[in-house]
Amino acid sequence: MKLELRDLEVSFAGQRDRPVASVGELAVDAGEIVGVAGESGSGKSMMILAVLGLAGTAGATVTGSVRLDGQELIGMSGAGLRAIRGRRIAAIFQSPALAFNPVYRVGRIVHRTLRLHGLSAAAAGARAEEAMRSVLLDPHLLRRYPSQLSGGQLQRVAIALALALRAEVLLADEPTSALDVTVQAEVLELLRELRDERGMAILFVSHDLAVIAELCDRVAVMRAGQVVETGPVGQVTTAPRHDYTRELLAAVPRLEVRP
Amino acid sequence: MTVQPTTVQPTTGGPLLEVRDLKVSFGPVRALDGVSLELAPGPFGLALVGESGSGKTTAGRAILRLVSAAGGTVRFEGQDVLALRGRRLRDYRRAAQIVFQDADNSLDPRMRIGTAIGEVLKVHGDRGTDRVAALLSEAALDPALASRYPHQLSGGQRQRVAIARALAVSPRLLVLDEPTSALDVTAQARILALIRRLRTERALAYLLITHNLAIVPELCERTAVLYLGRVVETGPTADLLARPAHPYTLALCSAVPEVDPATRRTRIILPGDTPRAGSQPGGCPFHPRCPLAVDRCRVTVPPSHEVAPGHHAACHRAEEVLAGLRPPGASAQLADGG
Repeated sequence: MKLELRDLEVSFAGQRDRPVASVGELAVDAGEIVGVAGESGSGKSMMILAVLGLAGTAGATVTGSVRLDGQELIGMSGAGLRAIRGRRIAAIFQSPALAFNPVYRVGRIVHRTLRLHGLSAAAAGARAEEAMRSVLLDPHLLRRYPSQLSGGQLQRVAIALALALRAEVLLADEPTSALDVTVQAEVLELLRELRDERGMAILFVSHDLAVIAELCDRVAVMRAGQVVETGPVGQVTTAPRHDYTRELLAAVPRLEVRP
Repeated sequence: MTVQPTTVQPTTGGPLLEVRDLKVSFGPVRALDGVSLELAPGPFGLALVGESGSGKTTAGRAILRLVSAAGGTVRFEGQDVLALRGRRLRDYRRAAQIVFQDADNSLDPRMRIGTAIGEVLKVHGDRGTDRVAALLSEAALDPALASRYPHQLSGGQRQRVAIARALAVSPRLLVLDEPTSALDVTAQARILALIRRLRTERALAYLLITHNLAIVPELCERTAVLYLGRVVETGPTADLLARPAHPYTLALCSAVPEVDPATRRTRIILPGDTPRAGSQPGGCPFHPRCPLAVDRCRVTVPPSHEVAPGHHAACHRAEEVLAGLRPPGASAQLADGG
């Protein structure tokens, strides 16, 4: 398994007995997309932060195990994590506008990140352009400021950054929730390509089971910090065993016209 | 439902809101380029659907006189809205209310919920805290929340407060601008159920602005699809979704994610990005992204014409699309509407 979470618990001081996120076992293999479904407050994002080694910055304590290719990340030194975070494990978030410093051109942000991870200036430039093309964006857009790009374009740039660094794992936290449905469809298509053509391992967090059903191979349903149901996507969405899963499914709006 | 260019407005029987050829410009950018819409008196819902930049929000705001129109007419119960001033304008603003996408930014963070709603009542000459409590319960909220601040509420609760506040002055027209886009699906389902209940209880007429066609069928009798500031297709919702006549509507339908693989549509990915208003191409505004565009589309603007009773489309190939024409790679599965 590429990424493996085991007995992972994220909790805040004074409430150690009530973890905000608790995952017994969750693994993502290369070339696989695993979905995590749940409402706001179910602990999905805290889980993502814990995998990135960033839960501490939110004031939380993390126990348990997160392994990348068998290597334990929990308790790893800051320098060790920095070499992995961004480079081997990339992340994209709900609001691409917040992921880019508004006063820098997009290209500068991409370039600096690549340089920080050890690429030469020339290599960084070439890599950035190549990555832009693979997410179907004109490399020219690197000269623009974040405010001059649409939400969908910015989310693609964020994905391009992960590609440029040859990330093996992509953590995607509600990456399409702020986008129009048409743009969402394009970003989902792009994530499928990353899985199929580059063998990326993707952990995809969303409140929308319809999106997860379309994209993911397996799914874990989270409620109030606990995983209540896991399984292959087809099975969980067609024959849910937990009431909460049924509730989430019932909430999905359907296009079909009812008489 | 063709519209007669009336000069004398009937007080009954006519549309509640009638928008003709509405134009709005921001500098050189034509955000709305001749939009016509019509709302029957409530209970009635009209969906205004389109991507970011299509002009749907601008249309809602122009109707409420929150941005000024550069041309066209807006008639509400027969009155010329664009010419209203002073007291008349205030009366109109009482009759026509808006609920914004982001309740975080439409509620004053320093004002308690009860005060925020009470303020509206006061401005419009109404008093009493029991009214606030009644409004909160009507929006399925605990009246005790009146003493809370916005940040103490969830996103869904805040949106209910925004709805309760809009209802405080008993409007006859409500503009709902992406009321659920900032919410997760469970909170969205609850807000949609609330709107469904209120529409009958209050005989509300509303304009539902959204990018997601999936929330439309249960709430709106009619749907208008907007692209680059123009209505490209409009019709009874059921007919429009079951038999879309415009390739853009096809693409919007195909973008809706479905849980059930059996109802999943073949995705029609539109090449290129959402166009920015202001860069109007020649010919059909949709042709640069249209997978079905032919030479004629690049030259002549397709007129909106009736393709079925009450169902209009502005596409040269609307009849072919209705007959089952699909972009290469997309199956005709769409034809049954899923």
